[in-house]
Amino acid sequence: MADNSPVVTPIGPCDAIPGTARLALTLLVIVVSSLIPLEHWPAHGLLLVVVFAGLSLAGVTLGYLARRLMLFLPMLLVFGLSVPITQLHRESAWGWMVSLWLRCTISFLAGLWLIHVLPFPELLATLLRWRCPPLLVAMLAFMYRYIFILWDELARLRQAREARNFGSGSWKRDWVTNAQMIGLLLLRAMERAERTHQAMLARGWDGSPKFLGTEARKGE
Amino acid sequence: MTSLPIPMAIELRGLTFRYPTGRVALDDVRCAIAPGERVAVVGPSGAGKSTLLMHLNGLLPMPSVATDDTVQVFIQSLGVTKGRLRDVRRQIGFLFQDPDDQLFCPTVREDVAFGPLNLGLDQAEVLVRVDQSLIAVGLPEHGPRNPAQLSTGERKRVCLAGVLACDPVMLVLDEPTSNLDPRARRQLLEILRRFPGTQIIATHDLDFALELCPRVLVLDGGKLQADGPVEQVLANPNLMERHGLEVPWRLRAV
Amino acid sequence: MHIRDGILSPEVCVVTGLISLAAVGYSLRKLRLDLEDRAVPLTGMLASVVFAGQMVNFPLIGLPVSGHLLGGVLAAVMLGPWAACLAITLVLVVQAVLFNDGGLLSLGANILNMGVVGAWGGYAIYTIIRKWLGNGTMTAIPAAVIAAWFSVLAAAALFCFEFGCSTGSQEFHLRGIFTLMVLYHALIGVGEALITGSVLSFVLSRRPDLISIPGAASPITNVSQFVMAGVVGGLAIAAILAPLKSDHPDGLDQVVQQTGMEARQIERDGLVFQGYELPLPRGFGWSTLATSLAGILGTLVVFGIAMGLGKGARWNLPVIESGEPHGR
Repeated sequence: MADNSPVVTPIGPCDAIPGTARLALTLLVIVVSSLIPLEHWPAHGLLLVVVFAGLSLAGVTLGYLARRLMLFLPMLLVFGLSVPITQLHRESAWGWMVSLWLRCTISFLAGLWLIHVLPFPELLATLLRWRCPPLLVAMLAFMYRYIFILWDELARLRQAREARNFGSGSWKRDWVTNAQMIGLLLLRAMERAERTHQAMLARGWDGSPKFLGTEARKGE
Repeated sequence: MTSLPIPMAIELRGLTFRYPTGRVALDDVRCAIAPGERVAVVGPSGAGKSTLLMHLNGLLPMPSVATDDTVQVFIQSLGVTKGRLRDVRRQIGFLFQDPDDQLFCPTVREDVAFGPLNLGLDQAEVLVRVDQSLIAVGLPEHGPRNPAQLSTGERKRVCLAGVLACDPVMLVLDEPTSNLDPRARRQLLEILRRFPGTQIIATHDLDFALELCPRVLVLDGGKLQADGPVEQVLANPNLMERHGLEVPWRLRAV
Repeated sequence: MHIRDGILSPEVCVVTGLISLAAVGYSLRKLRLDLEDRAVPLTGMLASVVFAGQMVNFPLIGLPVSGHLLGGVLAAVMLGPWAACLAITLVLVVQAVLFNDGGLLSLGANILNMGVVGAWGGYAIYTIIRKWLGNGTMTAIPAAVIAAWFSVLAAAALFCFEFGCSTGSQEFHLRGIFTLMVLYHALIGVGEALITGSVLSFVLSRRPDLISIPGAASPITNVSQFVMAGVVGGLAIAAILAPLKSDHPDGLDQVVQQTGMEARQIERDGLVFQGYELPLPRGFGWSTLATSLAGILGTLVVFGIAMGLGKGARWNLPVIESGEPHGR
């Protein structure tokens, strides 16, 4: 899968916090950072420190952090700049821009922490505990399972395309083969969904999802 | 062979099936399989093997009313009809060809638990069954893992665990050895040998059929071409040739 | 397209979140009736496809960036609006919680823009156009192409609205930014329309039975259909026409004056196509004429694509296949 997906279940000090609390904590950091006005910049700084501490405890490497920020920051800088640049006479716009940058960065880092400490099964359990409709949770679980399979299938289709295009294609050809690739992926996936539906029926599926209890899914 | 003193595990009374496109997939297939029998179904691709298996589990359209004229499939002497689907599926464990079609939960444990949960068992009972089935297929430690991280052979065995957890009376397997390496194939063979119930196995792997099943059905063009002891049927070069099959090496060296 | 946390104010997040919650709940209820026990495998699989499809990059001419499928209309055409709304929701949830793409708090806003307005609204437009064109198989493609373009534009317009509400519109003049935003998305929308149309025509050539027929498969009532189509169409038209109102005192002209740009001079330089070169904000001298022309041009291009694909433009390249599909 993509290199920025933490597939392996992390083990570290952050595991001491229950899964529900991890999600709640992240949301709390994001809300607080959106509510603190710029004048209280020390509070923003404090939040940044907390989030950084969390990231290092979760074992996020600096290289990974830098890679993600390299993709994230330029867009944010441009978007933030667009407001004061259109109204140079307004002093407040610059302050607004800085607080936007701060808020977005803190939220982004908090999100990064979350994806490192919340394994997917834990997320499903949390959603069930928060009374998320079981049907939606079942769909989410199902989707998560097949993302990996479709990803592999896409890689195979890409390889087949490269083999035929000899590496380079014209702009138009790229579009057509890409669209074919998605079309083929869609067809195969929907056919697979029909077979999977039969496999579910064969094991007594009646349309209403049932889940293992929370103690059971936690594992050994 | 239609009326025997002991109740048959599976009885097909002239099973005929057409796909919506009009192509005839099965044409008047008749046979009876006794409880505890292991039967291989062989034949070229497109012979109707998979379609036959699907009928055993009521996965294709079937009559909604049970009269002796319309019902063509009988499981434990009960006609397979819409109303009896749940009971029929409860008795039959179906192993699909592609393990990824059958493993749809994010972890192995949840997948094995899927069947028992749908049977309405309570959590404690479900957990016992999950552990037992994972032990039966030799993967007791794999409960918390993501199926995507397993090898094809392991995934196949997890599928089998999910089927066994429903405590079926008989197993129906579609190409169980496809994509398996020799060791994984051997492990599967051992697991299936230990299962006491009836087994119907559709396969291209004639050696596998030879090792596991005393009886074989040859299917081609939707018709039943041969039905008999495995060593006899598979050793018949004319029959094998005619239906796109080969006499296995073990039977050639006379 | 994904809104990050920190961009919208918490109030806007709460309001959009509540609207999305209601919409997702309603979709779930409808879906259960619609697909019954097939709801989980079909919708879950569709979500996986949209997720994987979004990772296929399409090169854009003249721009250093590449575009990708968003998939709301494609999903709706395949399985109807309820499954599509849920599939997009699932994709957004997975992207946020597993990949940190898109915010957690702004998840509601993202679902509203792409899942509700994008999928429901797109589907409503699709249905209406198909009714208008007749229900032949080939009408599906032009209808989907037009719906895809409108849905992207409407989502962009809705984002501008949400962003405006977050900053407090009295304080800043955001019209220039919004114009840029909408123009940029008019281009993205052309890409989305093209991809949606191409993928659909491929699917139609193989399995025409997979494409849902409006009216038969998913019972959207006429009233709600027109309301949704109205909302999307209205948002899109507002997006195109917004710059026309800029002779308002606090409008675009004022922004232009403040930044020391001379609108008329730019107009003379013929900046009609400048909009397409502008991912970077370099002066906001948008002449109203240029903007509107660009909008109209975008519309024409999309209609052109729609007609071209609908006429049954056939694939003249060999179809890629790798391995044998497992089905029979």
